[in-house]
Amino acid sequence: MTWSMSSEHLQLLIAGYVLGDLDPDEAAEFERHLMEHPAIAAEVSQMQKALELSYAPEVEPPAHLRSAILSAAHEQLSVSNTPLAAVKRPSRQFSWSRAMNVAAAVAIVALGINNYRLWQTLQASQAETQRLAALTYSLQGTKAGNGASAIVVVNPNNLEAVLTVKNLPPLPPGKVYVLWTVLKQDAPFTTDSKSAILTEVFTVDSQGNISQTIVVPKAFRSQGLVSNVAVTVEDAASPQQHQGAPVMITNL
Amino acid sequence: MAEQTGNTEKQLSDQTDAELYLGLKAGHTNALGILYDRHAGLVYGLALKTLGNAQEAEDLTQDIFLNLIKATAYDSRRGSFRTFVAILTRSRAIDRVRSRSTVLSFLERWRPISHSEKTSQSPIEYLFQNEQSQAVQTALAQLSESEQQVLRLAYYEGLSQSEIARQLGIPLGTIKTTTRRSLLKLRQFLTDYIR
Repeated sequence: MTWSMSSEHLQLLIAGYVLGDLDPDEAAEFERHLMEHPAIAAEVSQMQKALELSYAPEVEPPAHLRSAILSAAHEQLSVSNTPLAAVKRPSRQFSWSRAMNVAAAVAIVALGINNYRLWQTLQASQAETQRLAALTYSLQGTKAGNGASAIVVVNPNNLEAVLTVKNLPPLPPGKVYVLWTVLKQDAPFTTDSKSAILTEVFTVDSQGNISQTIVVPKAFRSQGLVSNVAVTVEDAASPQQHQGAPVMITNL
Repeated sequence: MAEQTGNTEKQLSDQTDAELYLGLKAGHTNALGILYDRHAGLVYGLALKTLGNAQEAEDLTQDIFLNLIKATAYDSRRGSFRTFVAILTRSRAIDRVRSRSTVLSFLERWRPISHSEKTSQSPIEYLFQNEQSQAVQTALAQLSESEQQVLRLAYYEGLSQSEIARQLGIPLGTIKTTTRRSLLKLRQFLTDYIR
């Protein structure tokens, strides 16, 4: 590694990376350089070292801190994988020899950057989803369910909905109410022969009321795919048969 | 990264900081151990230097690493993870110093941002500078006053470019280049010292 190996332009890019202020164009250029010349990673490490020698000296933390932090982290994360190997690091006054090992790892930083981009894309699409506004479906009783009404408020982001039903007659044993999500004819979802997705099986209390949180199909995330929401009476043993006529429906 | 999910410590330790950070975000707590081994000395050193108290420094170090799991947003394209955690640590440490309402002298020190050029150096930091090696002091001395300031404000104080421009009276458009050139210069003066 000689100092003169790289252009000043590249050195300034490295400095920018170490200072954490690359703009997107520069970041792309830096990434390209790094892929073409893995030795740049060592330069990054040395530049970092120059900065830290001057402004941020390392101090070895107390030995117990590592395990304290890691056990707190394990508690914090429900997702745990392989048990953490108790790796005893050699005590180090100054970690720059280690940092050079890290520098070698930095040489494949491009992989990390690519993963990061995938992750960002994922985040972006999730963010897109997060912006969907709540949908409210108002159901009115048909002749069969005269006087009944229901409101379904759907949060398309987490696909949860609150189903509130009023004045629906309590059913005899062996019968249940079923909430159906009825889709447009060509919607790209698996439905039954009546274009419906069984969404929730429920019963009402003695006053004919109920309010509960339910999970709804993904179709609610695509505007215009849901043609209506309906409630029928079905056999408790096979509610999916979809035999009954609607007792409540939207868009009457 | 699918084939790396069954990580052994060895495989993890081969990963870049950026990869480990993403792994951690995805719930792999083992990644935290490696990030800790690489950067705890830096975080603890900065915390201790700023807070001047071992217990508080430990506490802050724990906060910094645990917050990596959820609360922080490191952008691996903009710069090094190490600088990210260093600036984060300093910023949190300064917050804590500011909130020590009982220690007025500290408050006095941090509040007047407008003339922090002269005042932001605490006795602890001053002590540290006396402990800096001769080589580092010599290298720093070869930078102009404004070159030293711009580096210090950008890295050690973690100020934004516009804040630096305001404090130093330098045009905003030149801050980035000035900071990078200053670091490059410092690195060149330290060439023989960095191994």
